[in-house]
Amino acid sequence: MLVRRPAKLVTRRQALLGAATFGAVGQLGMPYIANAAAAEPIKIGLLLAKTGDIAAQAEYLANGSYLALEEHGNTIMGRPAELVWYDEPSPQGSQQNMQKLVQEAKVCAVLGGSLSSNALAEQATAAQLKIPFVCNNAAATAITGANCNRYTFRLNTPVAVQATMFAPYIMGYGKKWYFLTAAFAFGQDIAKSFKELLTRAGGTIVGDDSVPLNTPDYSSFILKIRQAKPDMILGGVPAGDLSTFLKQWNEMGMKGKIPICEIAIGDTDIWSVGPDAATGLYTSLWWYQNPNNPPDEQKFAAQYLKKYNKPAADKAWMGWVAAKSLFESIDAAKSTEPDAIIKAMEDWKGGTAESPYSWRKGDHQMLLKNLVVEVKPKITDKWDYFDVKGMVPKDAADLDKVFGAPTDAGCHMT
Amino acid sequence: MLDVLLSQVAAGLVLGGLYVMIAIGLSIIFGLLGIVNFAHGNFFALGAYFALTLVQNFGWPAVILAPVLVGIVGMVAERLLIRQLYDKEPLISLIVTFALALMIEALLRLIYGGIGQPFSQPPMFTGIYLWGPVLITKYRLAVFIFTVIVLIGLWALMQFTPFGRILRAGSRDPEMVGLLGIRLPRVLTAVFGLGCALAGVAGVLAAPLWTVTPSMSTNAIMPAFVVVTIGGLGSFAGAVIAGLMVGVVTALTIQFQPDAANAMMYVFMAVILLLRPRGLLGERWERFE
Repeated sequence: MLVRRPAKLVTRRQALLGAATFGAVGQLGMPYIANAAAAEPIKIGLLLAKTGDIAAQAEYLANGSYLALEEHGNTIMGRPAELVWYDEPSPQGSQQNMQKLVQEAKVCAVLGGSLSSNALAEQATAAQLKIPFVCNNAAATAITGANCNRYTFRLNTPVAVQATMFAPYIMGYGKKWYFLTAAFAFGQDIAKSFKELLTRAGGTIVGDDSVPLNTPDYSSFILKIRQAKPDMILGGVPAGDLSTFLKQWNEMGMKGKIPICEIAIGDTDIWSVGPDAATGLYTSLWWYQNPNNPPDEQKFAAQYLKKYNKPAADKAWMGWVAAKSLFESIDAAKSTEPDAIIKAMEDWKGGTAESPYSWRKGDHQMLLKNLVVEVKPKITDKWDYFDVKGMVPKDAADLDKVFGAPTDAGCHMT
Repeated sequence: MLDVLLSQVAAGLVLGGLYVMIAIGLSIIFGLLGIVNFAHGNFFALGAYFALTLVQNFGWPAVILAPVLVGIVGMVAERLLIRQLYDKEPLISLIVTFALALMIEALLRLIYGGIGQPFSQPPMFTGIYLWGPVLITKYRLAVFIFTVIVLIGLWALMQFTPFGRILRAGSRDPEMVGLLGIRLPRVLTAVFGLGCALAGVAGVLAAPLWTVTPSMSTNAIMPAFVVVTIGGLGSFAGAVIAGLMVGVVTALTIQFQPDAANAMMYVFMAVILLLRPRGLLGERWERFE
């Protein structure tokens, strides 16, 4: 019986030849394949508000971040790099967008947190997703305090520390204070920190109003302040709300009658007010006209002006520094693995010997000097509003002392 | 204490006047066209930005053109977009006007940037009046008086002119008005333009008080909806009374419970709707039942 053997589809000779050819082509192709993998862009998430009152500040934070990437040659670790910008509509929406950035856009780190309420939610998600999160704006103490975690780094000086820095400048106004603070994390934090300060100094609270966010009319608040006759107003209203308050304060003939002091003003807030109505004493992290700015920051300010045709606001600088430290840390780590990035961030140093900045290991808080600025008596340039009254602390060696130990604010990082 | 209350009531009435000015256009558009215009706050913002540009380039007298320009933009929007919605589900008009709102805000952000624009009151209205405990600024008093004049003019337009009669008839029975040979589509375009122009007037008046930003519409649209709902949808007089009441309620809440100032107008709305489900002066309209 004749059994027909099935016809071979490929002979042994052909198989060998094919394997050799594939190998040869593979050898030729490998460098290109390898290069293609290397050329895959490194993605960094940008989680900043695109709408709402805080969007004006967020625009500058984003511009600063993009400029930092340009300065870095649009590459990180020698590979092309890009920023992927998602909105921060609300605490819950921000958490969802952070998840999308990590799981869908495949970013290796996230820059953002324009509002304290959003940042507090985002940092919890960062810990859950194990992704480095560099908070470039929010100032609520809890971010690097009770809620701290090893994935979150925060640039802005915590409210409680700013209060300590600001105290010597405002105590001279008198000890009868009127508190006007926003009814959310940032404002509540300000009220708590400054009330503790005032109580220790033996002062009196003559009024204490918690203001809803996006209040369009302050006339009734101003009438209350007028009736209370305080020595000073301690403000804690953010962004556009502060601008609206200052406009109406002037409109009601109160400018110059009672001093207004507030921490963490954004330059965009005061630029929105206009020269007629602007007034007050504030803390800030950076001012483009500060004569003490080191050369690389002066260069940044010049590049910003050239690119965007307007001066760099403090928020632009904050976006720039936060992004720069992250990009340089990833370069130093030679890896996009979260643990390697975190280690490199903890070792990163910026600034100059007189004005250094770095991320503290114990709570990932950036230690840096703050400015105390006052609105000029007469404003002649539509951008140049402030006189720098001082840098706090004067000596960089005192930074640790001024910021206090991480555990002072309740941070127990594991 | 009476001094304090008097002072706050006066501040509340002035604020209420501004709320009336914002809400009245929304009320007219809903009452006559049946459209819930979610973009109304953005026409308000547009008024502020047009005023800003006109004042910067041509001085204060040119500000009068700002509401006219907003009205023209409104009429263009009606011809291109809103007209398609008259015989559609109310939900569609909400979605489309919401999209229009987002588009206007994005355009403003693109042209002017996200940062607020400085804008102060005209120099002639700088200063305050002090009558006993009542403090009122010259500008706010001028805003209040101007609002009253505009409202009287609007009421006269509706009551005593052929255009007003067509509007009132068209809002009740558009088919009958059409059968009488009146070209209703043109009238509807004019109505939408008028409603937007009124939002523009409110924007111009608010610009020296509020921060002029692309998102300023958010602070205008919610009080406007609350005022229209409390007053009774489509009721002119209702919107006026409700606006003043919301202003006073807000001011008094600031005096006693400041953190609830914004929320209180919603509580007030809920109470009114529980007592009068159609609002203070709302009537039964066959078209909307």
